[in-house]
Amino acid sequence: MMSPKGFSLSVIAMALLVCAAPVLAGDLDRFTNLEGTLDIAGGTAHIPVMNEAAKRIMTFNPKVRITVAGGGSGIGVQKVGEGLVDIGNTGRALSEEEVAKFGLQSFDFAIDGVAPIVHPENPVTGLTAQQIRDVFAGRITRWSEVGGPDEAIHVYGREEASGTHEVFWGKMLKKEPIVASANIIQSNGAMKVAVSQDANAIGYMSIGHIDDTVKPLAVDGVTPSQETAVEGSYPVVRHLFMNTKGDPKPLARAFIDYILSEEGAGITSAAGYIPVR
Amino acid sequence: MTATQKHSLADTATTAFCWSAAALTGVAVLAVMGFLIFRGAGTLGLELFFGQTPWWDALTGARPVFDGLWSALAGTLILVVLSCLMAVPVGIAGGVYLSVYASRRYQSMTGFAVDLMAGIPSIVMGLFGFSMIVVLRHALFPHAKTCLLLAAVCIALLILPYLVRTTQNALSGLPEHLRLLGPSLGFSTWQNTRHVLLPSAGRGILSGVILAMGRAAEDTAVILLTGVVAQAFLPRSLWDKFEALPFRIYYLAAEHRSVAELDQAFGAALVLLMLTGALFCLAFLIQRTMEHRWKK
Amino acid sequence: MFFEIWIRRLLCAAAMVSTAAALCILLVLITLVLPLFAHGGLATVLAWQWLPFNGKFGILPMVVGSLWLSLGALAAATPLAVGLACFVQVLAPGRVKSLCLALVHYMTSIPTVIYGFVSIFLLVPLMRQWFERGTGFSLLTAMLALTLLILPTIVLVFHATLREADRTARATCAALGFSKPSYIRHVLLPLSRRGLLAAVILGFGRAVGDTLISLMLAGNAPMVPGSPADAIRTLTAHIALVVATDSQSTFYHSVFASGLILFLIMALINLALRRLGRSFAP
Repeated sequence: MMSPKGFSLSVIAMALLVCAAPVLAGDLDRFTNLEGTLDIAGGTAHIPVMNEAAKRIMTFNPKVRITVAGGGSGIGVQKVGEGLVDIGNTGRALSEEEVAKFGLQSFDFAIDGVAPIVHPENPVTGLTAQQIRDVFAGRITRWSEVGGPDEAIHVYGREEASGTHEVFWGKMLKKEPIVASANIIQSNGAMKVAVSQDANAIGYMSIGHIDDTVKPLAVDGVTPSQETAVEGSYPVVRHLFMNTKGDPKPLARAFIDYILSEEGAGITSAAGYIPVR
Repeated sequence: MTATQKHSLADTATTAFCWSAAALTGVAVLAVMGFLIFRGAGTLGLELFFGQTPWWDALTGARPVFDGLWSALAGTLILVVLSCLMAVPVGIAGGVYLSVYASRRYQSMTGFAVDLMAGIPSIVMGLFGFSMIVVLRHALFPHAKTCLLLAAVCIALLILPYLVRTTQNALSGLPEHLRLLGPSLGFSTWQNTRHVLLPSAGRGILSGVILAMGRAAEDTAVILLTGVVAQAFLPRSLWDKFEALPFRIYYLAAEHRSVAELDQAFGAALVLLMLTGALFCLAFLIQRTMEHRWKK
Repeated sequence: MFFEIWIRRLLCAAAMVSTAAALCILLVLITLVLPLFAHGGLATVLAWQWLPFNGKFGILPMVVGSLWLSLGALAAATPLAVGLACFVQVLAPGRVKSLCLALVHYMTSIPTVIYGFVSIFLLVPLMRQWFERGTGFSLLTAMLALTLLILPTIVLVFHATLREADRTARATCAALGFSKPSYIRHVLLPLSRRGLLAAVILGFGRAVGDTLISLMLAGNAPMVPGSPADAIRTLTAHIALVVATDSQSTFYHSVFASGLILFLIMALINLALRRLGRSFAP
């Protein structure tokens, strides 16, 4: 028989434990009784977040397996619309046509921007919006015309169905076609590699992917970053979406909730995006 | 310049040209291999394959491997085994028919089809596989997806013509007296084939099979369109997406996110080179011993 | 006897699989390209601009890109192949000869992705330095890598012919007092013309059908090149790019048209080879 003091201490301890339980349980708990495969495809900007989430979930519950593929926003819409994957990622909002045709539901989870990037050793640090349009359209062809060394400008672009491309093309380039000689790159990750290896390169990429191997160009004096994207001073902003066909199946629902949860928001921020809560 | 002088100048030029052609090729190939060995040798080790996961867990599939080549390597191996299981019996049977049973005209017609198949670019084969899924979805199986089975079938179709041709050549290359041996003893065609021809040509056929395995392992274009993805772990069923070594190399070359990933790419390239090189050497040696046996 | 008949039928069926598969592939490609003909879409696909979101699905730049790349690689590889084959058959001392031949055989087993991968790190920076204009990913870069890829194909096929010709002619010419290089120039090569043509056609086929090298090295810009330093896109890379990234059903028609064009090119090559009396031996 415990002493009255010991008894009350245990009761308090138990009460504390009960209150702390939801916090200690963690956001991964929703996966405890689930199993099966989840196929994700689409936007390449999302990949770091998807990969990290998949890693944590699969380590927690090895019965769940999550495959992640890229392909760009166009692939994301088409594959999820045709039922080829469970979650299709897009780096742009769905059009009304797409929603109507496939019956898709969108889940917004992050804010991201698209920035023009150059090699870190390029002396040019900023351009006006008009200059950027001229460079990508092929009207300005040498770095010396915009304050850099006397070298040819190497333009790198994305394929047309890319969400990153669509946003940059629409909001920055005002829908002007990119010069025909631009090298076509297939993902944000590949764009980073391409620009970081070419001293005369210019390209455009998701802000979340920016690290010290590339340098973002200031546009009309505003340096693209997640802060300027959120506060509105940098105009080329987009949201990252996960999309499902109709209501998500239980495993997909759990995954989406996980990304939107506290832990998921941590993963999103670590990847360089601003989580939407 | 006299005629003789011109002549010897031309001779020297020819000799120089031939020697430099050989030297240039040799240097190029050695540069490729040397560069890979130089950059990739240092990465070889358990960590390249299994990342942070302990290797016994990874091998049994108990725990997934995140930063290693294991899923890509396993995917390639499974793909090779599946496609060979499908293609080898059909290819050898086809080659036997063409060499032993078929009439000249039939050989010519089927031979053309086999050559046509051999010439189909691998991306077109992948496109065919992809379009099969498009067609199936509209007709019979609304839930059809690109998967391991589809890729294995397409690769099987890709290597089939090689198997048919090498079997046919191996059998046709046997000396005349051997082909006549069975019938002279009263064997039927099949008995002759089974007891005399196939065992004698066995090595040639085997080397053809091994070369086909090498082809299946290195192909990238077909799997690009039929179900390979960047991250899929070990496939648990035929309907799963999968990873493969050549795709991993292509993918990491285009978008490595760190120096560690770039090193992994070099390691993967070296592993693939060693895999195809080993298969090639095996086939070459087997072929050589067969030639030794029959060259009289 | 009954057993015999069934074995024969089984084996025949196996041989028919190749024929059936080839027909199947052709049929599928044609069926999926047919809608193009129906809506007069043929004109859209046989056009010069690829801007799918603006409704332009022209694949002609890709056809030109494929041709330039393959013919260029062929032009570089053929002299090398001739020199190498002659070296191996006539000029090389014993040990060197078998080493060389083994090396060429080995080259056939090197995966294309390896050539592309190594070229990204060795060739592209070099190209970037030498040429003012390009990004390093260009027609020339892909051409150089492709040359190395198709070289063993051309060498091995040509060498087979050379060996046969050599067997018949060598002793005679030696008795007549020909020096080895003269023998090569005046007797051996003329005798092997047909074999060279077959080898070249085979090499062209291999070059046209390759995907990875142009996908990784040529820059993938859908335009007609003005110089070797310009980026290009081939039909094969185009198929890979469109199916893997741009993916709406309207684009598919251009992709199947590309596939059909490639299939027809290879069929023509095979017919040409048949005329010359060779098969597509591996």
